[in-house]
Amino acid sequence: MWNYIIRRTLYNIPVFLAIVLVVMAALRVTDPVSAHLGKNASEEQIRLKTESFGLDDPFYVQYGRFLVQIVTFDFDDVRSWDQDRPVGTMILDSIPPSIAVMGPTLLITATIAICVGLVSAFNRGKAPDKVLMFVAVIGMSISVLVYIILGQYFGAFLPKQESGAWPFEVAVDASAAGGRGFFFHPKNWVAYCMLPVMINVVVALGYDTRFYRAVMVEETTRDYIRTARAKGASRSRVMFVHMLKNALIPIITRIMISLPFVVTGSILIEVFFNIPGMGRTLINAINSKDFPVIQTFTALFAALFIASNILTDVLYALADPRVRLS
Amino acid sequence: MRNAARRMVGVLAVVGAGWMGGVAHAGAVFEGAKDEAGAMKVLQLPIRTDGPKSLDPVKGSTTYDNMACAQFYETLMTNSYADPMSFEPLLLAEQPVSEDGGLTWRFKLKDGVYFHDNACFPNGEGREIRTEDVFYSLKRLADDQYELENWWLLKDTIKGFDEYKDEQNKAAEFDYDAPVSGFRKINDKEFEIELKQPVYRFLYILGMFQTSVVPREAVEYYGEDFGFNPVGTGPFILDSWVPKQSLTANVNPNYHPVFYPGRDEWTREDRRNRLHRAAGERVPFVDRIEFTMFPEDQPMWLQFSLGQLGYSQVPEDYFLEAFDKASLELKEEMLEKGVRAQSNRLLDFIFRGFNMEDELLGGYSEEKKALRQAIALAIDLEEINQTFYNGRTIVYDGPIPPGLRGHPEDGRSEAAYRGPNLPLARQKLAQAGYPNGEGLPAIRFYTSQTTLNVEMAEMVKRQLEKINVRFEAIFMDFSSLIEAINKKKAPMFGFAWASDYPDGENNLALFYGPNESPGSNHFNYKRDGFDEMYERILTMGPSEERDAIYEEMRDMVLEDVPYVGSQARQRFYVINPWLINCKPTERYYGWFKYLDVDDSKR
Repeated sequence: MWNYIIRRTLYNIPVFLAIVLVVMAALRVTDPVSAHLGKNASEEQIRLKTESFGLDDPFYVQYGRFLVQIVTFDFDDVRSWDQDRPVGTMILDSIPPSIAVMGPTLLITATIAICVGLVSAFNRGKAPDKVLMFVAVIGMSISVLVYIILGQYFGAFLPKQESGAWPFEVAVDASAAGGRGFFFHPKNWVAYCMLPVMINVVVALGYDTRFYRAVMVEETTRDYIRTARAKGASRSRVMFVHMLKNALIPIITRIMISLPFVVTGSILIEVFFNIPGMGRTLINAINSKDFPVIQTFTALFAALFIASNILTDVLYALADPRVRLS
Repeated sequence: MRNAARRMVGVLAVVGAGWMGGVAHAGAVFEGAKDEAGAMKVLQLPIRTDGPKSLDPVKGSTTYDNMACAQFYETLMTNSYADPMSFEPLLLAEQPVSEDGGLTWRFKLKDGVYFHDNACFPNGEGREIRTEDVFYSLKRLADDQYELENWWLLKDTIKGFDEYKDEQNKAAEFDYDAPVSGFRKINDKEFEIELKQPVYRFLYILGMFQTSVVPREAVEYYGEDFGFNPVGTGPFILDSWVPKQSLTANVNPNYHPVFYPGRDEWTREDRRNRLHRAAGERVPFVDRIEFTMFPEDQPMWLQFSLGQLGYSQVPEDYFLEAFDKASLELKEEMLEKGVRAQSNRLLDFIFRGFNMEDELLGGYSEEKKALRQAIALAIDLEEINQTFYNGRTIVYDGPIPPGLRGHPEDGRSEAAYRGPNLPLARQKLAQAGYPNGEGLPAIRFYTSQTTLNVEMAEMVKRQLEKINVRFEAIFMDFSSLIEAINKKKAPMFGFAWASDYPDGENNLALFYGPNESPGSNHFNYKRDGFDEMYERILTMGPSEERDAIYEEMRDMVLEDVPYVGSQARQRFYVINPWLINCKPTERYYGWFKYLDVDDSKR
C-alpha cells in the first residue's frame, strides 16, 4: 500500500506543479500590486510593494521560490498585504474554527443521509420514500443564504430576545478571542458552532440523501440482496450489513469529495456567524486583493484535494478487496 | 515561537509594570470609572466590515485602521467631540502658534503624558513623551520600509523633509537621528516645524491618525510585529486583537488628564439629548472596550437589537425597520425600547466625471462646455437619490460637501447646471452642435461592476434618452476602472471622494492642474485662474476672504462642468439606552473615551 501511496503522490506532483503554475500566472495577468493599493497609490509605493514581494523577479524565480515555501510549509516570511502578518500564522489560526464547524457537519450529514437513503431505498415508491424525497427536494431548492438568514434569526436571535437564556449566540463576538482551541471547548462550541453546524447539515442533507438513496436503490436490485433475504436475513441486517458494505465505494467517494471542505470551511456560514475560519479568511483576502494569501490558500486547497484523492483510492482498496492498489 | 515567548514576556511585564506603575506614577494614575457597585464597565461596539489591517499608524489608511489606532495612539491635534469640524490640542499644551504667517509653527507638548507601560521600556514603565518622539514619528512616514503609504500627507510640506527622505532611503540604513532642517528642537517639550511654504492644511494633518506619536523603543523592540503591539499614549491598552474578528482593550491607568467637553460647547440640540451631562469630568469612563468586526450586516443588526452592542450604523436593508421613510424619525417601537438616533452628514463628493482631455467630452470651448452642460441638465440626481438611496443622500451643487466653508447655501448655486431641465438641456445640445442629439456618438461611461452601478447606469441611460443622447455604460472591476481613469482613457466615469480633512481645499485640490491623472485630478481639469487661486488658498487660514475665493473656484468648476453631481451620504446611527454620552462622528475616532455605559439599562 505504501508503494501505491508513494507512486500516486509522485504521479500527482506534476499535476500540482501545473496547478500552481496556472494559479501564479492567472494572479499576475493584471498587476496585483496596483489592484491592492488602489486609486491613490504613487508609483513609488507600487515599486516598493512589488520589490518587497519579489514580483519584479523573473517568473521562474518567483515560481521556484513559491514551490520551496510550499514544500517546506514555511510561509512565515510571506506576510499578508492586508493584515501584515505571516500567512503561515493565518493558516494555522483559520484551520481550527473551520474544522470545529465542518468536521461535525460532515459526520452528522453523512450518518443521517446514509440512514435516510437506506430507509428510502428499502421503501422505494412507498409513502416514507415519497415523503423523505419530497423533503429532500424542498431542502435542495432553497438557497443556502435563506437557511442562514432564517436560521440566525429564528435559531438564535428570536429565542434569545424572548427568553434571554438561550445557548446559541447570533454570531461570534469579541469575547471569543480565546486562541486556536477556543471553538473546541464544549461550552463555546455549543454557543458559536452548534447552530452553524445544524444549518450546514440541513443544507447538505437534501443533496446527500438523494445521492445515497440512488446508490442504495441500485444495490437493492442486486442478486446478493435477494439471496440474503432468501436465506432469511432480517431486513435491518440486509440493510446495515450486506447492503451498506457493498455500497461503501460510492459512500467513500462522496465523503472524500467533501473532506477537503472540513479544512477549507464554508464561506457563507463563516461570514455570517463571524467564524474566523479558512473560508472567511479566503474571501476577505479576495475582497482586499491580498495577493500572497490568495496564492498560498489556492495552492494549499489544490494540495488538499490531491491528498484526498489519493486517500480515496486507498480507502477503496480497504473497503473492497477486489480493488488492487497496483 | 520566539515571538510568542517575547509576547508572553511582554504581557507579564505589562501586568507587572501596571502594578508597579501605580506606584511610579502615583500622581498621574487614573483608575478609570467603576459603576456604583464597583463592577467593571465594559463597552461593546461594532466595526462594520472586517476591521483594521494594522495597528501601526504609519501603515494605516482606512477608517477602520483609524478607529482602532485612535484608541491606543494620539496626535498633536484632534477634532473636538462637541464640534467635530473644529480642532483642538490633544498632546499639545496649547494651540500651535506661528508668527510668520504660517511658515514656522511652534509647538509645546502637554506635561504628564506617558506612553503605555510596556516591556519595551526599562522596567516596563512608560516614559513621558518628548520632542524627539514627534520628530521620530513623522520621520517614519518617510521611511520606505513602511512602503510610504502615508507619505503623501507630508510630501512637499516641511523644509528639508523631502531631501531627508530621498537621502535616507538611498542610504544603506535609514538614519532616524539625521537632522531635518525644518525640525527644530527647543527643549524636550517645545519644538518648531518650518514648512516649505505656508500651508494651512498642515495643522489638519497633525490631527490625522497616521501622524500619531509612537515611541522609538517600541518600534525597535517589536520590529515587524509592532503593528500587533501598539504602544502609545492613548486612553486604552490593547488586550487582544484577532484580525478580522475582534479587538479588545483595557483602560490606560496612566492616561493623561483629558476632560469631557463643557456644557457651553454643546449645541442646544445636543444638550436636549443630554450629551452635556458629563461636562468637565475626566475621561475615559469605561474600563474596557470590546470591538467585534461584522463583514455582514445581519449579525451586527441582530446583536444590536439584542442590546449586545452600544450602537450600530443602520444598514440600508434595515433602515425601514428603524426609521419612518418620510420623516426620517425613529419608529415608535424603537423609541419604546429607549433607542436613540443620531445622523451624520459624510464629507462625500459623489459624482460622474468627465475627462477634460477627451476628444468628444473634454475641452473648454463654448460648444464643448454646452455639451457637458446639456448632459448635466438631463440627469435627474434627485430621482437617483429617491430610487437608490431612499432619499437619504444630500444632492448639492459644487465639489464642496455640506458642512464645509464654500458649500453653497441650501446646497444650490446659481452657477450650477442642475437637472432635470430638459428644454434647456436640448438648447445646450443644439449649441454644442448636436441639435436633438443628431451626430453625437454614444457617451462611454466607465464604472465599477456592482449591482447598484448597473441599475443606476440604466436610469441615467433612460434620463439621457429624453434628449436623444445615447449612453453606453462599461462595467469593470475597480482596479481596471482606476487604470482606465489614470491613463485618461475613460471619457466619463463614476467615482467618489471622501474628504481627508474638513476643509473645502481638499476637494478643490481635485481640480488643480498639477494633480492631473494619475493624481487625484481625475478630470484632468486645467484652468489657469483656478490653479492660481488654489495656490493662494493653500496658505490661507479660515477667513471670509478665503471663503470668497472658495466660492469663486466652486462656481468656475460649476460653469465648466467637469462632472455631474454632487451627492453626499448621510449615516444614521441607533444607540442603545445603556450607552450614554454618544454622538457618533466619522471625522475622527478618538471619541470612544467619552462614552459611558449604564449597566442598569441593559
